[in-house]
Amino acid sequence: MYLTGYDISILRFTWGVIEDILNHSKSIKSFNIRVREPRDLDPGQFIMLWIPGLEEVPLSPSYYDGSLMRITVMKRGPTTEAIHRLRIGDRVFYRGPFGNGFKVSNKGRYLLVGGGYGASPIIYTAHKIREYGYEAMYVEGVKTESDALFIDEAKSLGLDTILVTEDGSSGIKGLVTDYIEEVINEYDYLLGCGPEGMLLKLLELCNRYGVECQLSFEAIVKCGVGICGSCELYNTGLLVCRDGPVFDSRILSRYLGGV
Amino acid sequence: MDLRVRLGKLELRNPIILASGILGLSGSQLRRVGEYGFGGLTTKSYTIEARRGYDTPILAYVKCGLLNAVGLENPGYRELARVRESLKDVGIPIIVSIAGSKVDEFTTIASYVDELGFNAIELNLSCPHVEGMGLELGDDPNYVYKIVSGVSSIVSIPVYVKIGLHRDIMATVGKSLDGGAEGITAINTIRALAIDVYARKPVLSNVYGGLSGPAIHPIAVRIVYDIYREYGIPIIGVGGVSSWDDVIEFILAGASAVGVGTVIASKGLDVVREILDGIKTYMMDEGFKELSELIGYANK
Ligand SMILES: Cc1cc2nc3c(=O)[nH]c(=O)nc-3n(C[C@H](O)[C@H](O)[C@H](O)COP(=O)(O)OP(=O)(O)OC[C@H]3O[C@@H](n4cnc5c(N)ncnc54)[C@H](O)[C@@H]3O)c2cc1C
Ligand SMILES: Cc1cc2nc3c(=O)[nH]c(=O)nc-3n(C[C@H](O)[C@H](O)[C@H](O)COP(=O)(O)O)c2cc1C
Ligand code: FES
Repeated sequence: MYLTGYDISILRFTWGVIEDILNHSKSIKSFNIRVREPRDLDPGQFIMLWIPGLEEVPLSPSYYDGSLMRITVMKRGPTTEAIHRLRIGDRVFYRGPFGNGFKVSNKGRYLLVGGGYGASPIIYTAHKIREYGYEAMYVEGVKTESDALFIDEAKSLGLDTILVTEDGSSGIKGLVTDYIEEVINEYDYLLGCGPEGMLLKLLELCNRYGVECQLSFEAIVKCGVGICGSCELYNTGLLVCRDGPVFDSRILSRYLGGV
Repeated sequence: MDLRVRLGKLELRNPIILASGILGLSGSQLRRVGEYGFGGLTTKSYTIEARRGYDTPILAYVKCGLLNAVGLENPGYRELARVRESLKDVGIPIIVSIAGSKVDEFTTIASYVDELGFNAIELNLSCPHVEGMGLELGDDPNYVYKIVSGVSSIVSIPVYVKIGLHRDIMATVGKSLDGGAEGITAINTIRALAIDVYARKPVLSNVYGGLSGPAIHPIAVRIVYDIYREYGIPIIGVGGVSSWDDVIEFILAGASAVGVGTVIASKGLDVVREILDGIKTYMMDEGFKELSELIGYANK
């Protein structure tokens, strides 16, 4: 952790052109971007997407194949609103990839859990897991049916796919973490991304049931390369941009203890 | 092999110091950094009020280093009590960097820092991208004297003045020493600009930023050399260190300690170990037993 070198030329901006836009719901859209410069990007790593004149924001792509990059963005404030106003043919600037993604090199049964737009790096991970031919279940937790993002895509990858809605409008009713508790025993690894409350609950479940997990956390990312200190995970000294955003249970348990 | 150095009143187990603004925002960050073998740590520059810092992008990549315009983000000086608390047992000197725009801001923070039991103070009179809180202060030797003498007269710990590329560097240094500074930290980043050729706009939200990294190293070496030659005082050399030989170069020019910053982005915190190993090998090969023999050697 943090010991190894890093090629900081990833800080150079590059760009791509929007080829296609998908409206998932009122507040979430996906953008397919044809990139100008292939840069290796593992699932769970993030880019900083820049709207010149506004800010740059961290995003974990929901798909990448070296030429096509898909980002899935929830409207939250000025910059994500501006991203939502982008059209087909527009140019988008970004740099990266930054940080450590999900490691899926071990053979085993994977439980993939995405909450809200947190499903974004999870579905990209699902593509990789399919490539490796491992067994996996894809679980997405949302408020209501119309918020669901990648259920069809996960099914088309041939994964067991479960949608959990808080209001019961589709799939299983309840909190995604309650569903996970029922099935967690059947899996070797859990990979998760979503709201903080969900992540902490998943960590607790994984510790309780002895399942190794990797969870992707958020913080205010500014420099992206581990020098400005703005993205510290709670008061651990760990940096979301450089040590994370994906942390494994070993590290999380050591630093977060009883959180 | 003895890597210990004296920096004025401070004893350092080795000369490598974490430069201000690199992971020094919280006690937990400094604690973690402290595990990597540094001889001393400098905090981020603290101000009276908390500062959110500038919008992103705050960092720009250039071929010869980095530009940053963080905007002196910090939680405000009151937070230093908690920083101190979490650093109680780190066992290496902690230097608190202070930024401000008026004399009383510097003195208020400095007396608090002294009270909390930190080891030294660094007055940041050279931030190149926050108006009224940096470079202009250091450009005005009379104001430098006011700030430094105001602070030095009320604290018991050593005071260092961090300088940049000022109009008349020797005047700024001279007035700092007249005001009671024990030594100088040289240098801060240099005001610069980067434009993205496809966006056709400045990369940094603040437009201007401070250049750090290899590009500024020879300039920093020149300034350290000149200050040592003129005044022979304790100096922390900072600017563009990327490996052990840059550290030796600073020491030969007259630095007693050497700050590292930007290289941490590319090499990670383990760079400290790499640098210390390099220094040891060099001393062995060249027949030096004590690193302190080398301070100012090129100046003799
Ligand atoms: C590693 C990582 C991956 C992410 N991936 C995605 C993704 O795939 N899709 C997606 O929709 N969102 C993602 N986010 C969140 C996204 O970056 C924020 O929603 C976005 O920065 C908000 O910016 P804004 O200007 O629209 O809103 P603002 O009004 O500026 O902020 C709204 C909220 O967003 C958060 N935020 C603001 N600035 C930052 C910042 N620089 N870094 C992190 N969070 C910030 C804060 O919690 C803030 O309260 C990710 C965040 C991180 C850290
Ligand atoms: C991201 C960043 C933030 C910095 N913040 C501060 C600061 O708050 N106060 C300060 O005195 N210097 C600050 N500096 C300047 C460094 O302490 C150092 O003087 C400069 O970067 C040159 O050293 P380097 O080339 O090893 O990075 C900052 C530098 C960087 C890169
Ligand atoms: S965003 Fe600067 S350290 Fe992580």
